[in-house]
Amino acid sequence: MTARNLILVAGIGQSLRGDDAAGLEAVRYWAEQFPETAAQPSVLVEYLETPGLTLLESLRNVSGAILVDAMQGGGVPLRRLSGQELRCFTSDSRSAHGLGVAEALALGYELYPELGKIPIILIGIEGHTFALGEPLSESVRRLLPHTAQMIQEEVLLLLSGQKAQDAPQKTC
Amino acid sequence: MMSKLIEVPALARVEGEGGLYIRFKNGQAEEIRLKIYEPPRFFEGFLQGRFLQEVPDITARICGICPVAYQMSSVQALEAALGVTISEQVRLLRRLMYCGEYIESHALHIYLLQAPDLLGKESVLELAAVAPDVVKNALRLKKIGNDLLKAIGGRSVHPVNACVGGFYRWPDVGPIRALLPDLEWGLEASLETVRWALTLPYPELELDYEFVALHRPDEYAIYDGEVWSSKRAPVPVEEFDRVYLEEHVPHSNALHGRTIDGNVYLVGPLARLNLNHEQLSPIAQKALREADLKLPLRNPYKSLIARAIELVEAYETAIELVKQYHPSGKSQAPLTLKTSVGAGASEAPRGLLFHRYAVNDQGMVLRARIVPPTAQNLPRIEADLAALVPQLVSMSNEEATLTAEHLVRSYDPCISCATHFLRVQIEEVK
Repeated sequence: MTARNLILVAGIGQSLRGDDAAGLEAVRYWAEQFPETAAQPSVLVEYLETPGLTLLESLRNVSGAILVDAMQGGGVPLRRLSGQELRCFTSDSRSAHGLGVAEALALGYELYPELGKIPIILIGIEGHTFALGEPLSESVRRLLPHTAQMIQEEVLLLLSGQKAQDAPQKTC
Repeated sequence: MMSKLIEVPALARVEGEGGLYIRFKNGQAEEIRLKIYEPPRFFEGFLQGRFLQEVPDITARICGICPVAYQMSSVQALEAALGVTISEQVRLLRRLMYCGEYIESHALHIYLLQAPDLLGKESVLELAAVAPDVVKNALRLKKIGNDLLKAIGGRSVHPVNACVGGFYRWPDVGPIRALLPDLEWGLEASLETVRWALTLPYPELELDYEFVALHRPDEYAIYDGEVWSSKRAPVPVEEFDRVYLEEHVPHSNALHGRTIDGNVYLVGPLARLNLNHEQLSPIAQKALREADLKLPLRNPYKSLIARAIELVEAYETAIELVKQYHPSGKSQAPLTLKTSVGAGASEAPRGLLFHRYAVNDQGMVLRARIVPPTAQNLPRIEADLAALVPQLVSMSNEEATLTAEHLVRSYDPCISCATHFLRVQIEEVK
């Protein structure tokens, strides 16, 4: 199989910081609920703890990606953003020397034009507590089934070859 | 009577969280505080009662950038406690693993964290817009280090496999040898990095440092060595914490390092290069000669040049060690548990990292002590900022704030290790 028909489903976050683990847990939950999809050879499932720039390595050899991460922004419980929309965000990332998902993607679009040609979807889960050693908040835990369904729909869309709806390329 | 306050609420491109507050009056520093407010992480506390073989992988979690340093210092301390002698092959493989960490850490700091400051760019994103090939090469340089860690330790961040006594298993030869072409490319690219580093504009700031680093007569000390200082007699690692102490200061959750006579000192690439340049490998030695630097380097911003030379050293050493890698025999020396105490130290990319453990005859940790490099450098950074104040006086608040941030960032402080980091506030009192 070439990399060109490989779909990445990546949970992103930190497992030891409360809702920062939302992306990791959501992808884990999805993989348990939809094992036949997660096990497909054309689906690559990764759990990326504070990946920083290594996110770009995960993205460079796939034909599409669904990234699931915790967000904080306006109280919307679940949010769907395209990579092109996300590049205009700046995060308050204090890990990996401040290189969060938004910064890594923005750098990737700058350096690797081919990245702009693949669909990248970010599912953002609104987090509430990010304290060291805390578990997932109850509200995020309740969202896991809904998030898993959302991941599944996006995966099936990409696997079907339909181009996911993406925002036009933006200048930030 | 002019006083001024400079505060940077959140310093970017450092690892962890904290704040910087500078207040000066009539051109003199009145108060400088690196306020480390990230909660303490209590690693030394929760290591107590753990089996000693868990220590390397637990302490590796202190930092995502330098986990190998924590593994290497901890295994040496515990091997000293148990009186274990590792094989030469284990030592060579540990050095190779350390090369991977130096490569990924130094490439990150040189190109993505400090160079944007020196080039007047807000971040690597701005640098990528004007010099995409430089940033692409930087990412490739860094990735090779991560690939090396993965080949030895199973994964590129927080690798596993290192253990007390050696390694759980010998890594396969094939994946390690397969890295040679990339390492050869990296050596050339790191030599180019040195040439590029010499062209960067460095602010003027020459200071009288006490440099402290490990030293070996036969190699550029990274994995182990004796504790050397530019201003005092060498001490063996097991006596490190009799000479280099830690103290609590009210504004920091990280301890501050001081010598036994109360002086601040510097650890890290500048200290290593100044104390150990004669032990550099031949190609790194040649790069240093061609750079025509006047040693000792006393400008903190020029630690970038020291890192660049160490990048050459790491690539050159890695190539040699990969070629020498022929594992045979057992990868792990047997352990005989006993009640004892042991100390170990290695040179993390940011400087000397000391560990001491007391264990009982069941192999359980009774006490743990970890002295990370950033904690040792924190009072040194405050002293540097005090020396910078006369330059800050004539600057606008924005420029002064940025200048102070650049100085802190040149240290590549890892607050995750020291606890975490950074917000800056500068105040000039009228």
